[in-house]
Amino acid sequence: MSVPPFGYHGCYLRIDVSTGSVARVPISDTVLRQFIGGSGLGTWLLIEESQSRPDALAPEAPLIFVFSPLVGSPLTTSAKFAVVSKSPLTDRINDSLASSGFAIAGKQCGCDALVVVGRASELSTLVIDDARVRIDTAEDLRGASCGATETAIKARLGAGYQVAAIGPAGERAVRYATISHDGRHAGRGGSGAVLGSKNLKAIAVRGTQRCEWAHPRELAAYAKALSKRSFGPATAKYRELGTAANLLTFNRLGVLPTRNFQSGTFEEAAAVSPEEISHTRSRTRASCVACTIGCEHIYSLGDDKGVRLEYETLFALGPLCGVGEPDAVLRAARLCDDLGIDTISAGGTIAFAMECVERGWLNEPWLKFGSGDALLRAIDLIGRREGIGDMLADGSRRAAAAIGHDSISIAPQVKGLEIPGYEPRALQTMALGFAVGVRGADHNRSGAYEVDFSDKVDRRNVTVDAVRHAIATEDKAALMDSLVVCKFLRGVFEDFYREAADMLNLVTGWDTTGDELRDTARRIVHLKRQFNLLSGWTPAEDTLPDRFLDKALESDPAAALSRDQLGTLVTEYHRQRGW
Amino acid sequence: MENSLMRVEFLGIPRERAGIADLELDAETLGQLLTTLERRFPSLSDVVDAGRLRASFVANLNGDQFIRDPLTRLGSGDCVLILSADAGG
Repeated sequence: MSVPPFGYHGCYLRIDVSTGSVARVPISDTVLRQFIGGSGLGTWLLIEESQSRPDALAPEAPLIFVFSPLVGSPLTTSAKFAVVSKSPLTDRINDSLASSGFAIAGKQCGCDALVVVGRASELSTLVIDDARVRIDTAEDLRGASCGATETAIKARLGAGYQVAAIGPAGERAVRYATISHDGRHAGRGGSGAVLGSKNLKAIAVRGTQRCEWAHPRELAAYAKALSKRSFGPATAKYRELGTAANLLTFNRLGVLPTRNFQSGTFEEAAAVSPEEISHTRSRTRASCVACTIGCEHIYSLGDDKGVRLEYETLFALGPLCGVGEPDAVLRAARLCDDLGIDTISAGGTIAFAMECVERGWLNEPWLKFGSGDALLRAIDLIGRREGIGDMLADGSRRAAAAIGHDSISIAPQVKGLEIPGYEPRALQTMALGFAVGVRGADHNRSGAYEVDFSDKVDRRNVTVDAVRHAIATEDKAALMDSLVVCKFLRGVFEDFYREAADMLNLVTGWDTTGDELRDTARRIVHLKRQFNLLSGWTPAEDTLPDRFLDKALESDPAAALSRDQLGTLVTEYHRQRGW
Repeated sequence: MENSLMRVEFLGIPRERAGIADLELDAETLGQLLTTLERRFPSLSDVVDAGRLRASFVANLNGDQFIRDPLTRLGSGDCVLILSADAGG
């Protein structure tokens, strides 16, 4: 095998857990430069490894953990990894990201990615110790929470291991189950169900194989300067208040999705805001390994276990379900974390069911907007796939198909992925971003809300001029997710593409440029779409549910998006993308 | 001079820095408003600099239009929100 570029091992491990066989597969320098790592390299590997077009939960379907050249470097926020697979929720591409020690330890196993296929004979832990691979039983951990699983496996294996695990939801193939590591989750699209379908409760990694950097001294100096910049005002919101600070701002602007997107304001927003919750509960901060921002805000529930609270979790389990009791929202967030469930899809699917009950389409009279007890009960049933939870575990699109009554028109999803906490009628560039998202409705792969929160567009009446801005945010996200660096750094960079080239060149020794990386970003977006095309995508999927196109937002009559208007935006998007 | 009394609301980090949720003041342009805020609240120095919003922050007029240009005309009865530009969640 040729010598790989600095920052890379130049290969991936392909592990078949049906047989226990392991292959070290080389990755060419050309592929590494074209797709970098993380989400980009993961998409390339997914296409390579999915030649038979398997179902997302089939044993032969690959589940890919991808590192990046920056992992292990002194660059702030670079300890991240992507989990790439076909989504069991959308049947389209899914690339979820998570952070921390698993990325560093996984890369130190001497590979740039782990490709897992097959199905173990019993519930198991895949153990990778410096590229030595074995499969241990995990039957005794059946039903254990994500956190308990991670703790138990680390205690069992000893020092140095980092563990990514699923909770009961992943074991039961909840279609939006997560993979958890160190309390954080590769959250969207159901990668936890894919791991569970392989009869794997967890993957444990430990290694000693460090990559060298092309220009270590200059890289250290650059990293130090970047860390210093990361303490500035561009990240103050994340550091001091956390993403949950969006809640009151969004409520003030009428863009806070409430009661299954029936309103853009929530009358009890103040009660569940982080500003209020932090008055009555202790709050601590935490950060991922190798991060100087420290965006995590952990709230006490009166016991020794804190609850991480992000805006998306808060919106989905609070206003979206009409729940204004802080304790209920915090307990629901903890329950989702323990079970290993994506909070956005959980909240979206439950809110959808609550509206179906309200309309008389679903006979579960206990499942009412505003009831914290109902929210907790529904999450528990989803995690166990019992009662109505079995249907809701398949997400709002499949639940709508089961319920009928044209309930699909109010199912808050695109391509099956539940919509994050940005009201599309009042944030219409984001509406476009949701509609065309290759992963479905997605605020992490399209940052189009940034455009709506600027003076570039009239957010409630966007024109085709918004399309190029939406594309720019999508491209930027594709590159950030492939380097990988945290998006909360984006305000720190004055010229992102040039600085991304600087970072990459210091690590790899390449001579890439900002212009080359712009092309790389577009190439990655195109490749994701290519996977979707191979999976049956048609242009008709690039739309929003009827609810958002039929009438104005009740709480803001100026927030209306017609079917024609969205269609024009989507058509222009396809034209500019060359699709 | 015509009275241009308006309401200013702080959200998120700007509210943390100002230490209050809102106030009323006179201004004919966004630049004048920001200069007044800068003078009255030195703690807003990482939000406002030399009569302009720093890149990480933005203003919103009456819950509708996002504005940054210091020459943007303001009128009596307007409500100007000062908030973080980054709405990432």
